[in-house]
Amino acid sequence: MERHRAGHPRKQAPFLGGDQFVEARHARYGSTVRRRDFLRRAAVTGTGLAIAPSVLAACGGDSGDGDGSLSIGTPDAPVTLPTVGEAIADGLSPESGTLELLNWADYANPESLAAFEAALGVKVNVTIYDNEEAALLKLRNGTFAPDVIMGMTDTALARLVAAELLQPLNKGYIPNFSNVIVGLQNPYYDLGAQYTVPYVIYGNGIVYRTDVIDRSRFTDGDGLGAMWDATYAGRLAVLDSYRDTISMALIRDGITDVNTGDEAVLRAAGDSLRALREATNPKVDILSYQELPAGNRDIAFTWAGDALSMPGYLPEGVDPNVIGFWWPPTTVTANDFMCIPRTSSKPVLAHAFINFFSDRDEALRNASFVGYQPALQGISIDDYRAATGIPESVLDALVTPERYESGLRMYSLEPAVDALWNDVWAGFTAG
Amino acid sequence: MRPRRAGGPWTALATPGVAWLVAMFLVPLYAVACIAFGRIDPIFRDAVPQWNPLGWRFEEAGAVLASITTGPLRAVALRTVAYVVVAMILSLALGFPIAYYLARHAGRWRLALLALIVVPYWVNYLMRMMAWYNLLSPSGLGARLLRLVGLEHNWMDGSSVAVVLGLVYGYVPFIILPLYATLERLDWRLVEAARDLGAGPRAAFRLVTLPLARAGTAAACVLIALPMFGDYYTNDLLSRSPRTEMLGNQIDFYLNASSQPQRGAVLVLLLSLLLLVGLSSYLRSTERTARERRR
Repeated sequence: MERHRAGHPRKQAPFLGGDQFVEARHARYGSTVRRRDFLRRAAVTGTGLAIAPSVLAACGGDSGDGDGSLSIGTPDAPVTLPTVGEAIADGLSPESGTLELLNWADYANPESLAAFEAALGVKVNVTIYDNEEAALLKLRNGTFAPDVIMGMTDTALARLVAAELLQPLNKGYIPNFSNVIVGLQNPYYDLGAQYTVPYVIYGNGIVYRTDVIDRSRFTDGDGLGAMWDATYAGRLAVLDSYRDTISMALIRDGITDVNTGDEAVLRAAGDSLRALREATNPKVDILSYQELPAGNRDIAFTWAGDALSMPGYLPEGVDPNVIGFWWPPTTVTANDFMCIPRTSSKPVLAHAFINFFSDRDEALRNASFVGYQPALQGISIDDYRAATGIPESVLDALVTPERYESGLRMYSLEPAVDALWNDVWAGFTAG
Repeated sequence: MRPRRAGGPWTALATPGVAWLVAMFLVPLYAVACIAFGRIDPIFRDAVPQWNPLGWRFEEAGAVLASITTGPLRAVALRTVAYVVVAMILSLALGFPIAYYLARHAGRWRLALLALIVVPYWVNYLMRMMAWYNLLSPSGLGARLLRLVGLEHNWMDGSSVAVVLGLVYGYVPFIILPLYATLERLDWRLVEAARDLGAGPRAAFRLVTLPLARAGTAAACVLIALPMFGDYYTNDLLSRSPRTEMLGNQIDFYLNASSQPQRGAVLVLLLSLLLLVGLSSYLRSTERTARERRR
C-alpha cells in the first residue's frame, strides 16, 4: 500500500498474511537536497526554481549527468521542463514480452495488472522501490531499466529530467489522458505534462477510531490539537515523514507556508512537536493504516489514502464505520504520477500501460485495492464508494476538486532550507 | 625461556588475514570517512565522497559533535549506551547460567539443548521481532491472553522496557554460545582442586570458575555489544517512539532519509571509534592474560 507524500514520503507494504507477520518498510524521501551552505544563488525565476548544474558543479557537486537546469515548479511559478530527447513516433505497435514496472509496494492492484497482461498479451514484472532516492540512484547508474515508473512525485521529477532519465510522452498513445482532472492536465511541476501523467491524489488529515473518539473532538475548535492531547498517549501516531509532520505543526501554529525557510518559524514548529512528543509519546511511522484497524492505535495523523484503505484491514466482523477521518480546514494536498524512463525498451507498451491505468473503470478497480483516489475526473463519490466499498465514516478522506485546489502544496526545498527542516526533525525524533 | 619470535615465512601466513582486514575493514572505513568529510550532490542529493583527505571538510562532523555534547543527539547517545549496558547485563545474567549448565550438567542432552537454543535464531531477526510485536501489541494474541489473567498493559506503548528486552531476546544466543565454548574448555580440575582445598561451591565458582572464564565472558560481551550499538530495527519494530531512539536510528535517518548523509557517516565513524576502543582494551586484556599464563 502506498503512502508517500510530497517530499519525503514513506510507503509501506502491509503485513503479509492473515496474522500480519511480514512487514516491508519503505521509506520514500524525496526532496532532500543536502548542503546547507549550498545553492544560495539558486534563482527563483519566472518559470520556477531553477538550479544550474554548472553552478552546482563549481560548488563541488557531481551533477553532471544532464546539461539542462534543475527546474522545480511551484504553484506560483509553474515550470516547463526542458525537453530531453524526442517522444516516440506515432503509429507504432506495442512491443511484446515483459513490461518492467517500477512501483511502490502494493501500489497497483494485481487484478489490474493481470487485466493489462490479458488485454495486451504481455507480462508485467513489478520491481519495488522503497524511496525515491534509491530509485534515482538505480536509474542513474543503469542497474535497472524499467519501462514505467509509478508513484514518483514532483520532488524527484526535476532531477529525473536533469539527469535525462525520462522520455517525453507521446499523448497520441494515451487518449485516456483526457480523463485526468483538468487542473492536473497542465500541472505546475510539468507544464504541458510532457513527461508525466497523474496517478493518484491525496491530502493529509487525522484518522481515528470512532469507538474511542467522538468526531466533535475535531470539529469543535482546535481539531489538530487532538494530536497534542495526552489522553491518547501511547495510542497515537504521526507520519514518519518530516515534511508532512512538521507541516502539521506549522499549520496548527497558523502557518500556511509549508515550504518555509524561516528559521524562527521552523524552530517554533520544532518546539511544538517536542511538546507533542512529551504529551503523547507518539509512534513515528507509516503503519497506522494497519495498526489503527487492528485496534493498536486510536488516532493518527496520516495520508487520506491510508484512511480509505483502512476498512480493508479491519478484523473480520468489525463494523467498518469504526474508522473515521477528519479533513482539517487547512491541509496539504498533492498527487503523484506515472512516467517512462528514457531507457525503456518497450516505450509503446509503456504508453499503453499508462493509458490503461488512466481509464476510469480500470482506475476504480485499481483504487479498490490501493485505496488512493485516481487523479481522474468524472468519478463521483458514489462511483468510488461502489468500487471500493468504503464506509460513510471515511468519506471525509476523499479529495474533492475544491479541496485539491485549495490545499497547500509542498515542493522541493532549497538545500539550506531543507537542512533546517532536517534539524527540526532530528530534534523531535531524537527524543 | 623466552618465546620464539615468529618471522620469515611464518609471518607470510598472516598475509591473507591482513589482506582481508584491509579489504573488508580499512577500505570501507576509509570510504565512510570520505563520505563523512565529503560533499553532497546538490541536485541528486546523495553523498559525494571526497577521496582526497586534503579536501576533507569537517563542518558536519563539528555539527554532530556539538549535537552529541550539547544538542539532541546527547540524549540519544546516552540512551544507547544505557540500553546496551542494561541489555548486556541482562543477557549475561540469562546466558551464563545456561552456558554453565550446558557445559557442566547437560550430559547427553547437551547437543539437543544447544540445538534448541540455536534453532529459533535461524529465523530472521526482523521476523522474530515482528512476531513479538504481533503477540504483544494490544490486539495481539499474547496480550489478549494476558488480559484474561488480569494483566492489562500496553506492552508496545513505546517504552524503553520493550526495546531493552527486545535487544536481550535478539542477542542472547550470541552470548550463550561463546560462554559455552569458554566454560566447556575450562580445566575443571582446578575447580575440583579448589573444592578439595576447602572452598565451598560458591567460593570455588567466584574464585576459580569466574576468573578462568573472564576472557571468554569479555569476548561474549563484546560480541553482542558491537551489533547492539548499531541496532535500529529493534526500536523500529518494537517501539517506534522518539523516546526510545538509538544511535542506529539516527544513522538510519541521516543516511537514508535526510539531506545530511554526512552526519550519518560521522556517527558511523564515532561509533566505530568507540567500539575500537572497547575492542582494543579487550584485546590488550586477553594478551595480558596470555602473557601471565606463559610465565
